[in-house]
Amino acid sequence: MSEAATPHAPLESDPEGYAPSVAKRLAFYQRAGGIITPFLTAVFAFLMGGIVVGATGHNPLRVYKAIFEGAGLNWFLHFGSYHVDIPFTNHHIWFWWDTSTNHTAAYNLTQTLLTTTPLILTGLAVAFAFRCGLFNIGGQGQYMMGAIVGVYVGSRFVALAHVTHILFAIVAAALAGALWGAIAGFLKATVGAHEVITTIMLNWVAYWGGSYLLGRDGPLQNHVDKSIPISDDIAQKAHLPAIWGNPALQALHAGIFFALAALFVFYLVLNRTTLGYEVRAVGFNPEAARYGGISVGRNFVVAMAISGLFAGLAGGIDILGWQFRLGVLDVQVSNIGFIGIAVALLGRNTAVGVGFAALLFGGLLTGTSTRSLDPQIFPPQLAGNLALMIQALVLLFVGADLLIVYIWQARRKLHLPRKVPA
Amino acid sequence: MDEAPVLELRGITKQFPGVLANDHVDFDLRHGEVHALLGENGAGKSTLMSILYGLYTADSGEILMNGKHVTISSPKDAIELGIGMVHQHFMLIPVMTVTENIVLANEPVKAGVLIDEKAAERRVADVAATFKFAVDPHARIENITVGQQQRVEIMKALYRNASIVILDEPTAVLTPQEAQELFEILRTLTREGISVIFISHKLNEVLEIADRITVLRRGKRVETIPREGATEEGLARSMVGREVLLRVDKKPAQPGDPLLQVHELAVRDDRGLEAVRGVSFDVRAGEIVGIAGVDGNGQTELIDAVTGLRHPASGEIRVGGHDLSRATARAAFDAGMGHIPEDRQRRGLVLDFNLAENLVLHDYGKEPFSRLGWVNPRRWIRWARGLLEEFDVRGGGPTTRGGSLSGGNQQKVVVAREVSRNPSVLIAAQPTRGLDVGAIEFVHRRLVEQRDAGKAVLLVSLELDEILSLSDRILVLYEGRIVAEFPPEVSEEEVGIAMTGGRRSEAA
Amino acid sequence: MSTMDFASRLWSRWPLETVIARGGVGLGLFAFVVALPPFRADMPWVPVLVGLIAIAAGVWVMSRGLRRPGWTAIGFGIVGIVLGLLATRANQGNLNQVVVWSALLSATLVWATPLTFAAIGGMFSERSGVVNIGLEGMMLCGAFFAALGADKFGHWWMGVLTAAVAGAGFAAVHAFMAIQLRADQIVSGTAINFLALGVTGYFFIDIYGENGTPGNLPRIPEVNVGFLGSVFGHLNLMIWVSFALLILAHVTLFRTPIGLRIRSVGEHPRAADTVGISVYGTRYAAVILSGMLAALGGAYLSIGYLGSFSENMTAGRGFIALAAVIFGNWRPFGAFAAALLFGGSTALSFRLQQPWPAPSVLFQALPYVLTLIAVAGVIGRSVPPASAGRPYVKQ
Repeated sequence: MSEAATPHAPLESDPEGYAPSVAKRLAFYQRAGGIITPFLTAVFAFLMGGIVVGATGHNPLRVYKAIFEGAGLNWFLHFGSYHVDIPFTNHHIWFWWDTSTNHTAAYNLTQTLLTTTPLILTGLAVAFAFRCGLFNIGGQGQYMMGAIVGVYVGSRFVALAHVTHILFAIVAAALAGALWGAIAGFLKATVGAHEVITTIMLNWVAYWGGSYLLGRDGPLQNHVDKSIPISDDIAQKAHLPAIWGNPALQALHAGIFFALAALFVFYLVLNRTTLGYEVRAVGFNPEAARYGGISVGRNFVVAMAISGLFAGLAGGIDILGWQFRLGVLDVQVSNIGFIGIAVALLGRNTAVGVGFAALLFGGLLTGTSTRSLDPQIFPPQLAGNLALMIQALVLLFVGADLLIVYIWQARRKLHLPRKVPA
Repeated sequence: MDEAPVLELRGITKQFPGVLANDHVDFDLRHGEVHALLGENGAGKSTLMSILYGLYTADSGEILMNGKHVTISSPKDAIELGIGMVHQHFMLIPVMTVTENIVLANEPVKAGVLIDEKAAERRVADVAATFKFAVDPHARIENITVGQQQRVEIMKALYRNASIVILDEPTAVLTPQEAQELFEILRTLTREGISVIFISHKLNEVLEIADRITVLRRGKRVETIPREGATEEGLARSMVGREVLLRVDKKPAQPGDPLLQVHELAVRDDRGLEAVRGVSFDVRAGEIVGIAGVDGNGQTELIDAVTGLRHPASGEIRVGGHDLSRATARAAFDAGMGHIPEDRQRRGLVLDFNLAENLVLHDYGKEPFSRLGWVNPRRWIRWARGLLEEFDVRGGGPTTRGGSLSGGNQQKVVVAREVSRNPSVLIAAQPTRGLDVGAIEFVHRRLVEQRDAGKAVLLVSLELDEILSLSDRILVLYEGRIVAEFPPEVSEEEVGIAMTGGRRSEAA
Repeated sequence: MSTMDFASRLWSRWPLETVIARGGVGLGLFAFVVALPPFRADMPWVPVLVGLIAIAAGVWVMSRGLRRPGWTAIGFGIVGIVLGLLATRANQGNLNQVVVWSALLSATLVWATPLTFAAIGGMFSERSGVVNIGLEGMMLCGAFFAALGADKFGHWWMGVLTAAVAGAGFAAVHAFMAIQLRADQIVSGTAINFLALGVTGYFFIDIYGENGTPGNLPRIPEVNVGFLGSVFGHLNLMIWVSFALLILAHVTLFRTPIGLRIRSVGEHPRAADTVGISVYGTRYAAVILSGMLAALGGAYLSIGYLGSFSENMTAGRGFIALAAVIFGNWRPFGAFAAALLFGGSTALSFRLQQPWPAPSVLFQALPYVLTLIAVAGVIGRSVPPASAGRPYVKQ
């Protein structure tokens, strides 16, 4: 075998026998599957979830249908002749879907989108870090820091004007998340501390830190009722405007525009800036990047900071958009940062992928929530756990990317390596 | 020496995706002989021996030991049959001791469950005494020299009562003196009745130590001849299949001002030990300076320091008059340095980037490739297309992934990138490692071109032939110091002696 | 081996710098302890002084070239000063109420035990080269299935058995993904955590519904050895088992062939492969063992100590166990020391709830902060097994 004859297989083991790194495999995977493999991954995960449901005596098809409807995704199926109001005017235009949130499907959809918004951002957080070769499990802690700072700024500084207050709170939340992420990046850059460990630790520090700050006699506890471990409400002016639905009944808020814009920003930064070039180079091959003159350590810090920024932004937007206050219970129960991991991996760390994966998980979470799911068909607590299991299965299948690709028989097309000769 | 073979391989065939590594190869080994397996990179030598050691399974063919059929499906089988292998990349665990490494998987046991350390030490000492090795059984692998590590590897095989020992390119990591010690060891082994298979691509060594030589070329066995009567030219021809051009045509050099000045440079390696101790030399415009030396004498650290990838402990580096002693890699590149790194896949290219992205690896942050942090990939692609044509890169275009190209074309991309930046100093580290002849000629031509265009070229290579044919001046690096300087007409012998630390002629 | 040999072996194994560094860490801890009963130093300068000595030790160690152990000593010194100062400012009565050493010690042992089990399991797994982030999930499933098994089969040891089997099962999934399919081990471990959460929650509600596990769950018994005093006299059986496990793990890992092979697979799998050791087999065994042990730790939580199961009752202890493995330098006794430290801070935080409800919550964060310090500047030569986290491709 001479060098000239064999182009290098995309995934080869090095002389010590190790399989290639996370970033390499995800890079390969991005190329390998296109849209089919994420789709298949999701299908398989739901399939196995359905088996569990069936095995415990419930009808999987009815359950999934109920979840689908609970997510409001059936809204798209009801065509008709309706109209929608143009904001800030008194006119309305014809629209083929019924946007009145007095009707269940539309309302459920708003709730789904409400959950999709932070999921997009936490998904982007994990995805950005992955593109730099870093595994950011700290999305939850970064989200929480954003929420805490968001609730703090939102409830103080009431003298500010409406828009300024909102922007200030959002920026502060994002920066808090960025700082939390940068700590892990800094530790990795200076002492080589593995970011998985440090981000997990930081998650728990945020968890208990938040529990302390918002708990009984904590510094951020509300001034109204000292028996409830919850923060002050944010100022009315600091609420994000509602764009769909009745604000009194938890409407979809303008935060979703931030999330969608973030998808764009993610794409632009990674593909159209020198920063993105450096991040990608470090993610693919830190040694070559270093040789080329790129500072690997600096990029670790920056990537983790940007990653944390997205997650912190999610926290701030959630507070300003629909939560309006933060309690110890919220801190301890929240897991939106962790779901972001599944979102990023399912979406193969791309903007488009994260967007769709966030929608899928948003729908899953909303559809299985207590509010949306008919207990007669399937008890919501069971449904919540079912959602967890499906997420786990998605992670498992994504983690075993080779398995999925084999199943789709991409092997022939893509020269998957078998034994690489010495 | 008996005539009946202790080992016979008949008709071994092994196919990998895209390449036939072994094509009906026959091989036999006689008792107590040293049988060399010779061939170029990729000829199939390692594959054949990996099959013998159970790391691969042959598609067809058979293996006989002492006349009897055997099946070898794992290293465990091979070990049980008395076959031991000393790999090119040592299979030693750095944090464990010599004794632990040797007895691993064959530990003497006491009380049924505990390791009997005393017995282990005793047995290791026995092996060492029989074959006259001198090793400290309690030393950690990471703390002993490469030569000693190799001895531990050999002891691993002997501890398991190997009667056949395979050595895969053993001298690649040794100094010439250590290589001589190795040959002594091999002679001791054969005296004790062990048969040795010696894989190499180095003609002179093979002629020194082997009793018989088998040449493989492109997966096929070309010939098996006894050492008497074999010549370097004859073997080279068998290995390559045609006359081999050993020298490059070039005009005489016309050196100008020194563009790279290194003065009293001292560099530490990853473990904090001194790897470069007070090296001084100049490279002038219009000349190629070649640094010869056995691997591990400080070349890597020297290059790292000069190119800004490692901070020197002391000393000066000047490029075109600028002091770059403490500079980063980026500063070095900006000051007019070009660097063809020694590992194109790990350092030279980001394999997952496309060719255009790879070609801008140094200058992506500057005009015209980007403006105020914004990047226009389309512009890159257009520019890359021209460059790829100019350097005759085959296998893809600007949007092709770097990893899809062959090694030779990958190196062309690296060379294209470095050369097109018009550096005043070009550093080439092992630029032709693992390349086929066509690619080697290409790289050599480009280096000479740069030199004729008035650049200063520093060539560091482990291949003495390359150094001799390209350099206008030859420096020899030994144990971190420049111990000799030679003109290009010097004989290989003299350089070889200097490389082992022998007689010092003008220290530079 | 004579005492002189032993002493000189210790001396050569632990150079002066390491001894000073560890001494610095100890002094840092002592800076805090000195403000507590029975020392009860209430002059602020006492903990500050002790802490400063710790910091000085750290600086000295750093000047001798060992940056990381030096930073750790400094870190502990600072933490010790802060906590010590807080303690000196605390009301003596409150302190006396909180720091009842015997109660603290038994509580420490109680909270450390699940960590010990999981940490030793995690240690074996990582020593063989497979990172096991899923310890949390395996612990949780052990807790649930112990309760389920004890309930359905009527005996506590059936509960323990069921837990072990369940833990092994979950670990087998992780092992399959990580070893056979060469999946990313972090992702796989995270998936196990989610899966365990979902599965245990799902079946908990499905089987036990709103009432939860029955109140009369068979419990793992205590071992009554009266003459050992109040702390050691009434320890749960599992705690004693954890001691035995500790010794067994140490001996196995460092003095038996199996241990040598596990370590070789973790350091250089290719080398182990070429001498005939089954890399896949060893890793499977190590990972499944880690699942079983983590599950046993969870079993202790549910049917040993608390007597019931609730959703997500492990609350991150699996991650603390992982931290203990790292903190303890991938050695059994080191992990145990870390488990004691972390268990102690949990115990302390519960006792602090009476006088100071708010800050006691912060104490729960202490294990994680300590691990951050440890990871950033670790004691001694703390290098993980060289191949941990990197899947091996068998040729």
